[in-house]
Amino acid sequence: MAASTSYETFIGLEIHIQLLTETKIFCGCKSKFGDKPNSNVCPVCLGYPGVLPALNEHAVELSYKVCRAMNCDLAKEGMFERKNYFYPDLTKNYQISQFEKPFGRNGYFEYESGGGIKRIRFHEIHLEEDAGKMIHQGGRSFCDYNRAGTCLLEIVTEPEFKEPQEAEDFLQAFRRTVRHLGVCDGNMEEGSLRCDANISINTPGAGLGVKTEVKNLNSSRFVKKALQYERRRQEKVLKSGGKIIQETRLWDEDKSVTESMRTKEEAHDYRYFPEPDLPPFRPDQAFFDMIEKSQIELPLARKQRLTEDYGLTPDQADYIVEEKAAADYFEAVVALGADAKTAAKWIMGNVAKELNRIDLSKADLGTEKCALSAERLTKLLGMLADNKIHGKIAAQTLAAIFNEDKDPEVIVKEQGWDSSADEGDLEKIVQQILDENPRVVEQIRGGDQKPRGFVVGKVMKATQGTANPQSVQSIIGKLIG
Amino acid sequence: MEKDDLLITAAQAQLALSAEEAGRLETAVSEMLDYFEMMNEVDVSNLPPTTHALVRENALREDNPNPNNNQEDLVNRAPENEDNFIVIPNVL
Repeated sequence: MAASTSYETFIGLEIHIQLLTETKIFCGCKSKFGDKPNSNVCPVCLGYPGVLPALNEHAVELSYKVCRAMNCDLAKEGMFERKNYFYPDLTKNYQISQFEKPFGRNGYFEYESGGGIKRIRFHEIHLEEDAGKMIHQGGRSFCDYNRAGTCLLEIVTEPEFKEPQEAEDFLQAFRRTVRHLGVCDGNMEEGSLRCDANISINTPGAGLGVKTEVKNLNSSRFVKKALQYERRRQEKVLKSGGKIIQETRLWDEDKSVTESMRTKEEAHDYRYFPEPDLPPFRPDQAFFDMIEKSQIELPLARKQRLTEDYGLTPDQADYIVEEKAAADYFEAVVALGADAKTAAKWIMGNVAKELNRIDLSKADLGTEKCALSAERLTKLLGMLADNKIHGKIAAQTLAAIFNEDKDPEVIVKEQGWDSSADEGDLEKIVQQILDENPRVVEQIRGGDQKPRGFVVGKVMKATQGTANPQSVQSIIGKLIG
Repeated sequence: MEKDDLLITAAQAQLALSAEEAGRLETAVSEMLDYFEMMNEVDVSNLPPTTHALVRENALREDNPNPNNNQEDLVNRAPENEDNFIVIPNVL
């Protein structure tokens, strides 16, 4: 909740996502994390003289797809610029980026926070090349250019978050959305989704204050923690009569503080100018139609629909919508005839437990990796609904589906777990147990309900667990009256 | 041209100017800039900005890997390398 503060807070985020393309943005080198250093490089991404960049079509499509999903005005003409800076993470001494004509402008995104729906606006979304990675050790820096020239989409929000918590909530929802869109894997630890935050505080009504930028935030939780720390720090400075210096600060995860980065005094002057080697991109109507067609129901809308149409609880809907695969799977199961609430309960409960046991996750639901196809879960829940098996047997059958990769009916039949085999047989078994235990019968007749459990237990043992406890209960009632 | 602007420009171009060179260039660069100023006299208010000299658009490449076979050669061209990294003096 809002900390007791006499200042107004302004937070903005700058997010970079690595697009899921096969190749880099301007050359045919593979775009792959974790390969041997400098194994995916060529004269283009190493900035050799005389080479020409050629724009990756798929990167452009994915960029527009994101821009559209974020409600941006889509550029009828997109352009690339050179952003000049001198640092060896890129060998050309400039980064090809977009400045005057980015692919998307004036977007917004809605997310859940504090029990309601909030909206954040985007200033712009642009495509650029990523830089290489460096390790600094002793007197030397080790450069790996595998990442140099990979496709990076930059999303800049307006400084309109009022609380660090909002920034965290937004980032989680945003991550989920780009994963649903299939444009980015959203892995913050590996850096395929990166986030810098800026924050300023001011007396209420006075507008933006002097901002600081915080870097090195590799989880959404750190974004919140770093912003909370930074806000407290700025408050202390202002309250003691000091001034905030505009600077970049690094989040130190171990110490839980932000620390000033040594930066050059002069402001950056990137001297942007149009990239002469890349002609403008002017999409035709067919391209825009294709982007429109590629849009999907976004996670927030889908969550709302699942709660409204199927009566799921917000927690259930959240759990299922977290992964697109899980949401698609859930809806497939329902389409095949399963009861929606039961299916949700099972996916969140027994199925989740089983997936965890065999080192899969809900993202694997509906894929080849997962033996529990939508059809199999539907059949299993159907048998449960028809009282062919009861809950405990259903759970055993579920485990067996994963272990043996067989249909649930086959497993139930092979194991002799079908409890509906013969109601008459079950009645005989109950009668026999009652005959063997006359005292228990008297107790039950006398109004003591406890011994019923004893009878049920005996029946379960006699039927090796297949009997439906509820059926046994009703037979006891029928036989004893 | 202001001297400060000249020194910033030189720094951005990674040039170390001596005081004597800076003094000399101050006048020379100012004259060059004045010369460019002549272009500002032309009325271009009705022209869209030129961003590209070629009459071309939408030059795109399919997203198919086209691996380069000379990575080793490229790394070896660097003055220093180690474990496939290109090594340079520490820049941090």
